[in-house]
Parts: sequence; structure tokens; C-alpha cells
Amino acid sequence: MIEIKNVFYSYLDIIALNNINLEIKPGEAVALMGANGCGKSTLLKLMNGIISPERGSYRFDGEEITHKKLQDSKFSKQLHQRIGFVFQNSDTQLFCSSVFEEIAFGPRQMGLDELEVTKRVKDCLKLLNIENFENRIPYHLSGGEKRKVAIACVMSLNPDVLVLDEPMNGLDPKTQRWLVEFLVKLNKAGKTLIISTHNLELVHEISTRAILFNEEHTIVADMLTKELLKDIDLLKKVNLVDKYYH
Amino acid sequence: MDHTESEMTDVPEWLLINENYIPLTDKDTFVNKSILSIFRVISRIKMQDSIQQTHLKINVPLNVLCTAILLILVSLTKSLIFVMIINVYLLSILCVTDTDRLIRILKLSVGVTLFTAIIMLPAFIQGNSYSSIMITTKVFASITAVGLLSHTTKWSLLTKALKRFYVPDIFILILDITIKYIYRLGELSLSMFYALKLRSVGKNNKKYTSMAGVAGTMFLQSMEMAEEMYHAMECRGFSGEYHRMEKSKFKWIDYFHIAIHIGFVVLYLYLGRVLS
Repeated sequence: MIEIKNVFYSYLDIIALNNINLEIKPGEAVALMGANGCGKSTLLKLMNGIISPERGSYRFDGEEITHKKLQDSKFSKQLHQRIGFVFQNSDTQLFCSSVFEEIAFGPRQMGLDELEVTKRVKDCLKLLNIENFENRIPYHLSGGEKRKVAIACVMSLNPDVLVLDEPMNGLDPKTQRWLVEFLVKLNKAGKTLIISTHNLELVHEISTRAILFNEEHTIVADMLTKELLKDIDLLKKVNLVDKYYH
Repeated sequence: MDHTESEMTDVPEWLLINENYIPLTDKDTFVNKSILSIFRVISRIKMQDSIQQTHLKINVPLNVLCTAILLILVSLTKSLIFVMIINVYLLSILCVTDTDRLIRILKLSVGVTLFTAIIMLPAFIQGNSYSSIMITTKVFASITAVGLLSHTTKWSLLTKALKRFYVPDIFILILDITIKYIYRLGELSLSMFYALKLRSVGKNNKKYTSMAGVAGTMFLQSMEMAEEMYHAMECRGFSGEYHRMEKSKFKWIDYFHIAIHIGFVVLYLYLGRVLS
């Protein structure tokens, strides 16, 4: 489904992705791990077609995603429908006047009739346990509630792949637990999950496979999450944990 | 993922099937152009971090002062020879800067000069050729001088240099904070435009409503940031007074720079006397 070969990307002179090779199959739950600034978020942006590789190739469902193709409005819209992106900062994702409008934004653009749009919104509200927020102003919600609304906005598009950038950040333990259960449920429903996270306590619950970046912006490990968590020396080597971690 | 098979009953049916969606064509020029222009501003500020002074490394307050003197002399002079000499001096300074910087500075100064030349064209045709050439060359000199200063000096050093000219510390602090928040709000608006683009998967007939939403959220966020900073400053004991220490040493290149500019002042006075 996702195939990344020899990809390089840099911001001005600062390298963000250094020879990345990666393949993700449909239905997988993959965690991207690594210290801050190792290139996880850049890779997620690349997968979502926000940026395109400087060198190397990125294929989605066999089709190469290039800068030129992303300039084609129809092509990029189709890609964005198929890959949903939940931003790290939910505030950036919410700009409508009410939660209902926020969730209905995508389905309405897809040309669905208003009955279907309403059904999708209600289903998403129920799925994310935010039925009471329908008429609330998104900006006034708490951090956890905003995250739920942001996920609902993406889910209403029914993407094949759900990409989440640090979804556990800033959430209380109860909401984190809820999110874990929700992501597991989605994955079981057939959705491919790609999650960047630092949360070593919950990562094995939300992913089966982990990809580890080092500070040189390269992938150093691609293995089962449980196996990776046991390799403390490797986690120390990439500066993800310190000597007190066990 | 050790969870036992969770119940699928609450997952809606439409979410379990693949969406066979073909988007309608829609224009995204406004969002795309906004993304590009915000990205340019952010990159410009980010590049400040990596700005290296030219190998001449002139003292920053001195450079600011000399540029100001140069601008005043250029705008006051009635001598085309003087403006030409200044232009030759600026171009020779440009020659020792790296290619990227040279292109960026020249792009701006040549662009503005051409624009001025076009505006001055009717006057030139009417017979006021001297004034037209004078104004156009003055514009080139002024833009190049300012371009040289801004492209070879970090903004933080420029604001710091203001201290030497007895600009109040609080004003310098406000300038620094402004630059910081232009960057932070720029990053935020860039993320919001990215989100808008990613969520705009079809035909959006209410683009301006979405834009108003983005602008509104930006406004609220900036208010929140301002409040947070105010509280943080209070917690750090800020009482309205801000003192900034500034020490700088002069090197041989700085004395050389002073000598050149004294030369320009003398030349300005001499040519002024010759013309009168």
C-alpha cells in the first residue's frame, strides 16, 4: 500500500529524512518512534502529500506520488481522502463554527447528500463518544475533546489509512486509554494505522510493528513492537530512553 | 496489540467498506498560494538562524550607523557622480558576498529600480532626463545598501544594535517578541492551511467561510499566546523594565569601514560645494 524507497528530504540545509526505505501493507498498525527532531513528522507529511521527496520515490497503492502529480487538484484530493491525517496540535485542524459543521466539512465536499452527511456525523459523534458536543464551538473544548473532534473529522471521510502525529500528547491517562481502545477497534475494522509516538507504555497496544529512527534521520530498526521495546540498548543508542529506563 | 476481539457493532457500516470516491474538480489556488507565501515568510525568518556575516564581519552597530549615513547622503545629494560612486562601492561589496546572497539582494534592488524607471519614464520622455536618472540610481543605491545590511546581519543582532543608539530597551524587547511571534503565528497558520488543504477533498463552495474560520482561530490563538506570555513574564518578575547588555569590540576592518564612510561624507560635501 505504501512504498517508500531511498527517500531524502531536507529543510534548507537541515536534513530531515536520510535514505528512508519502508513498506506498509494494508491493515497494518505501524508505530514510528524516535527522539525529537528525528524526522517522524516529516515522514508523515510526506505520506500525506504535504511535501514530496527531494530524492527517491513514494508510492501509494502502486502509484508514484510526485510533486507534479500533487499539483493536480483531483489527484491530491483523492489521495487526501484515502489518507487521513490527525495533526499533533488539534487546534490547527479545527476551524468551523460548531462540532457538527466540523465533522460534516469533509462529507459535504465529497458530494454526499445531506441525509448521508448527517448520518456520518452522528455515527462519528457516537463512535468517538462526543454526542453531547454536536453544537459546541470546537475552540472552547478541552485538549482531549478537541483531539476526539479532530479524529472524528478525519474518520468522516472514511480514509483507508489513518495517520496520527503524537496522538497521546497532552491527553490525560483516561483519554489515552480510550484512544488506545479506539485505535485498536479501527485497526480491527480494517484501517491501516501509522502512528508517530514517544509513548513507550502504550505503543505495543496500538501497533504490532515499530519503525525506529536515529538522530541521523535514518531508520535503524523495523521489527515487532514488543521485540523493539525489549532492546533497551538500541533505544538508548537512538536517545529515546536514558539509563534510568528499564 | 494484545486486545481480545473487540466488538464491531458500534463501528458504522460505511466505515467498514472502501470509499469509491472520485473527486470533482475544484480550484485551490487561494489555499495553495497562501501556503506558499506563508512558507516563504517562515523560511526567511528561519534562514536568519543560519545567516553568516560576510567574511568582512563588520561590527553590527557600526554597520547600521554607516548604512543610515549612506542613505541620508544618497537622498540629500544633488550630484549624480556621488550616487554613481556609492553604487560602485556597493556593487564591489556585493562582489565579495556569496552567490546566493548576491542574487537575492540584486533581485530586489534591480526589481525595484526597474519599477522606478518605468514610473520615471514619462518624465524622462518629457525632457527631465537628469532627475529621472538621478532618482532611479538613488533608488538602486538605497535598496542595495539596505539589502546588504539585512541579508548579512541576523535580525536579533540588528535589534541588539539599536541599544547603541539609545533606543529604549523595552522597544528592543517588543521588536524581538514581534519577530518571534510572526514566526510562531506563521507556523500555526501554515499548519492550519495544510489541514484545510488535507480536509478539502472535494468541491468546496464556501471557501471564504473556511478562510474566515482559519482567521478567527488564528486571532484567538494569538490572544491566548499573548496572555500566556504576559503571565509568564509576570512569573519571571518582569516589572516593565528590561535591561540588555551590549559590548562590542572594534577590529581593523571596522576602522577601515569608518574611514571609507568619512571619505563619503567629505566627497558629499566637496561635490556639493562644486555643484553650488
